[in-house]
Amino acid sequence: MKILKYIAVLFIAAVITQTAMANSLTGYQIIEKAVNRPAPKTQKATLTMTLVSSSGSKRVREIDQFTNDDSKVEKKIMFFQKPADVRGTSFMNFSYSGDKADDQWIYLPALKKVKRISSDSKGDYFMGSDFTYDDLGDRNPKDDNHEILREETLNGEECYVVSSTPKDKDYMYSKTITWVIKNKWIGLKKIFYDENGDLLKTLNVIDYKNIDGYWIQTIVKMINEKTKHETIMNLSNIKVNDSVPNSYFSERIMKRGIK
Amino acid sequence: MIKIISKLLKYPKSLLLGLFMITVVFFVFLRANGRMETDLDKYMPQEHPAFVYSDKAEKWFDIKDGIIIAVENKQGIYNSGTLSKVKELTKELQKMKEIEPRDVTSLYTADNILGTDEGLDVKAFYKRVPETETELKELQENIKGNDMVFGRLVSTDETVTVIVARIDDDVFSQEFYHRILETVKKYNEPEILHVAGRPIVEGTMAYLGPKDMKKMIPVVLVVIVLVLFLLLRNFKSTLLTVLVVFFSVIWAFGLMAALNVPAYAVSSMIPVMLIAIGVADGIHMYSHLHIYLKDNTQATKSEAVFDMVKEMWKPVVMTSVTTAVGFISLLSSEVYPIKYFGLFTAFGVLTAMAVSLLLIPAGILVFGLPKVKERKSTDETKTKKWESDFHGIISKFLIRNKTITLAATILILIVSAYGMSKIWINSSFLDKFERNSDIVLTDKFINEHFGGTSTLNVILEAKKENAFKNPDVLLQMSKIQIDLEENLSEVGGSFSLSDYIQRMNQVMNSDKKEFNTIPDSETLIAQYLLLYEMSGDPNNLWEVVSEDYKKANLTFQLKNDNSKALNAAIGRIEKSREFFESRGITMKYAGSGYKGLVFTDLILEGQIKSVIISLFIVIGLLALMFKNITIGLIGSIPIVITTVISFGIMGLLDIPLSTTTALLASIAIGIGIDYAVHFIERYKIYARETENREKTIRLTMLHSGRAIMFNAFVVIMGFLVLTVSVFPPNRALGGLVSLGMFTSFIGTLTVMFLVLYLSGIYFRKSKK
Repeated sequence: MKILKYIAVLFIAAVITQTAMANSLTGYQIIEKAVNRPAPKTQKATLTMTLVSSSGSKRVREIDQFTNDDSKVEKKIMFFQKPADVRGTSFMNFSYSGDKADDQWIYLPALKKVKRISSDSKGDYFMGSDFTYDDLGDRNPKDDNHEILREETLNGEECYVVSSTPKDKDYMYSKTITWVIKNKWIGLKKIFYDENGDLLKTLNVIDYKNIDGYWIQTIVKMINEKTKHETIMNLSNIKVNDSVPNSYFSERIMKRGIK
Repeated sequence: MIKIISKLLKYPKSLLLGLFMITVVFFVFLRANGRMETDLDKYMPQEHPAFVYSDKAEKWFDIKDGIIIAVENKQGIYNSGTLSKVKELTKELQKMKEIEPRDVTSLYTADNILGTDEGLDVKAFYKRVPETETELKELQENIKGNDMVFGRLVSTDETVTVIVARIDDDVFSQEFYHRILETVKKYNEPEILHVAGRPIVEGTMAYLGPKDMKKMIPVVLVVIVLVLFLLLRNFKSTLLTVLVVFFSVIWAFGLMAALNVPAYAVSSMIPVMLIAIGVADGIHMYSHLHIYLKDNTQATKSEAVFDMVKEMWKPVVMTSVTTAVGFISLLSSEVYPIKYFGLFTAFGVLTAMAVSLLLIPAGILVFGLPKVKERKSTDETKTKKWESDFHGIISKFLIRNKTITLAATILILIVSAYGMSKIWINSSFLDKFERNSDIVLTDKFINEHFGGTSTLNVILEAKKENAFKNPDVLLQMSKIQIDLEENLSEVGGSFSLSDYIQRMNQVMNSDKKEFNTIPDSETLIAQYLLLYEMSGDPNNLWEVVSEDYKKANLTFQLKNDNSKALNAAIGRIEKSREFFESRGITMKYAGSGYKGLVFTDLILEGQIKSVIISLFIVIGLLALMFKNITIGLIGSIPIVITTVISFGIMGLLDIPLSTTTALLASIAIGIGIDYAVHFIERYKIYARETENREKTIRLTMLHSGRAIMFNAFVVIMGFLVLTVSVFPPNRALGGLVSLGMFTSFIGTLTVMFLVLYLSGIYFRKSKK
């Protein structure tokens, strides 16, 4: 435990030094810090995903999710609880560091089969939401050119405002602007521009919590400004660094579920 | 009235100057504030329930009209050259400010959902242009294996692929239209690129129609001037008569601009009407002047002019007021451009009346009488004798053969009534073009290779959420699709939620064809849909079903945008109404093709309504003016004959009713009334003077009959020019206006004349 305390002190010292140096931080450094802020190795949570169509109709999905991240591969398994007609459907995703494409499996109880899904695009929408896999996963900061625009207060938090332009001209966004809370290195807001430079989406972090030392965004809302479609993702019952063994991530468990 | 005119005519020069100044003022308004409405949606009554619903449905399912660009390579499309063109053009279109990137669909943007033994593979067909033989072969196999792409984005003979750019109604402009054509042109050779789709058809029409009219109207005017000159044999008279038309057109359009009303496509019919109607007043006035001068060779300039005004103001005012009222009846239409058309044409007609009564006499006072024909007296008397004999012979002939004339008329009317029963309304835009024009050929080309360039949307709405996850409902939707595709040659394809379910079912069962069906488990369908949302682009799904699965959109692709094709499809779809209603699902239609259909129905309905209303008003007005109800009825004869024959001939010649041709009934009324009133008024005057039926007839024929014939001849010659127009609707218009003039003229001088004669009206005392 002593070692832990020591690390914590070091960590705080580091944060203080960084704050002092804040003015000299580059846009790249800010985004890099936000992406690489400490994250738990495992996580259990209930994800409530609310999809709001432009006409205002709502669909609510409730999913139990389990994550295990060993820095090389992030494994995630999800079980649908609601709505009733898809209860028992499960989804498993292995996300690799580096360029390797994700591996995905789905189990449909009505078909009683586990199927592999392969997709070549990080630009696909996650479960029909307004989030792409790329929006959820952390995009490698090296893929963009970053520029710090200004510092401002948003929702009572001191933020850096950073503009990021992709090096790949064919990327689905032409530019993003991110608000990163100073010292917490957590994103508070992000706006996305499409290929033509038009405003496409706005992401707002409605709530975030510090759970056992980790800053976790618990309620996020993405609005597609073109279609006026909204997605609200709400994480509850979060447990970090609880036991999520590697054995959870198998086809057998996908079919059976985690009791 | 006559007093005011006489007073004004005391200062003819100031009067001319005054009229000219007013015209200048209106012209300035027109230049400063005149604008053309090109958004076709603005033509439709926005508050009509069918339009309100369609607009809502278009929002729910993001239904938009697409510009279709076909890339043809006769050697086949699977080579890196063609594929890289598809990629580059797709990207260029996505970068246009009028087009949303996600609204462009091509092989480059489409996803391929493949079923394999172990799972599901969602991939773009290509991002990097394939170069090697193996890569190209693989792409070809992938496309062939995907029913949602093969035959839809790539033709089954693999020589054509399409790029579809869907656009909002309000972004289309002439500039954008030309930019699209220019952009596409760059990509030609060795591939051949074709551009089609409803926005392009509408754009071409909005561009070609007025352009053609601008070119043709001056030619029409020149011909009318020439013919008028031949008939009036005097330059000044011709000029004054044409100035009447010219002034009335400028006043009408100037007032439109002053009131901030834009010009619509139908507004180009206003000058057409004013030409046909405006020359009549002048012709009748000059006709009277000629006769007066012949009888009173010693009369002074002002004596002749004042006699002309005194004798003619009444019929001129009567004809103009009745005609104006006829046009004002168009206010009963639900279609705004038609309301405005009626209103401003009525204003133009009244302008023509005022200008005729002031400009012509003032002009004569200032510039002198038209020279009396200085022919040899023998010639003169010969002509006169011939003319008088001619009219006398005609009237005698008609009276002698009255039974035959009346029987022939009734026979013609019966045949026409039969023709009327065959008339159909055409909402098609494409049918307005030449059969061998580029736009029609391109459309044909795309229709041969793909499902169709026109669409019909069927909107199903349930009371409960998730209604469209039900297997029976999906199966019924699939049944309608199969029924229409198999039984109607005009239906080339269809698209609905059931296609997605069938595709998912096949893909999840190792891509075996026998699973290209709707599974009978609702939970399995729900899970497939979740899977699709997770792996494909859900926005595609929301084009066929609403997110709460309460509403669905069935899209049919038609190879023809005309009303017959649409109605045939609707007829078959309606058979399923009962099935859906028994499940609490309502069925309605949407989309631009359907709106066009409703719109033309509305126009026709408005036309029929206004024709009936104006017929009654006109009969009433005539009865009031002549203080005799029988006269009212007799006066309506030319109108009825002209209307029935015009529509009858359209039916017999298979000319469909459209926005412009439907307005022809108004011409019939406007012109028929003129002829009837002038004729009856003269008849009445001569009847009083001579108290002799035979003499009255001969004199009326000579006076009014001659003027009517002149009038008809001038306008017919003018409008026959339009029949060589390059734009078919304008051609039809020219032919039908000429025909209307001709039947009005014949109807007045034969049947109405006979009925008037036989009625013995104005000869009560001498009646046997």
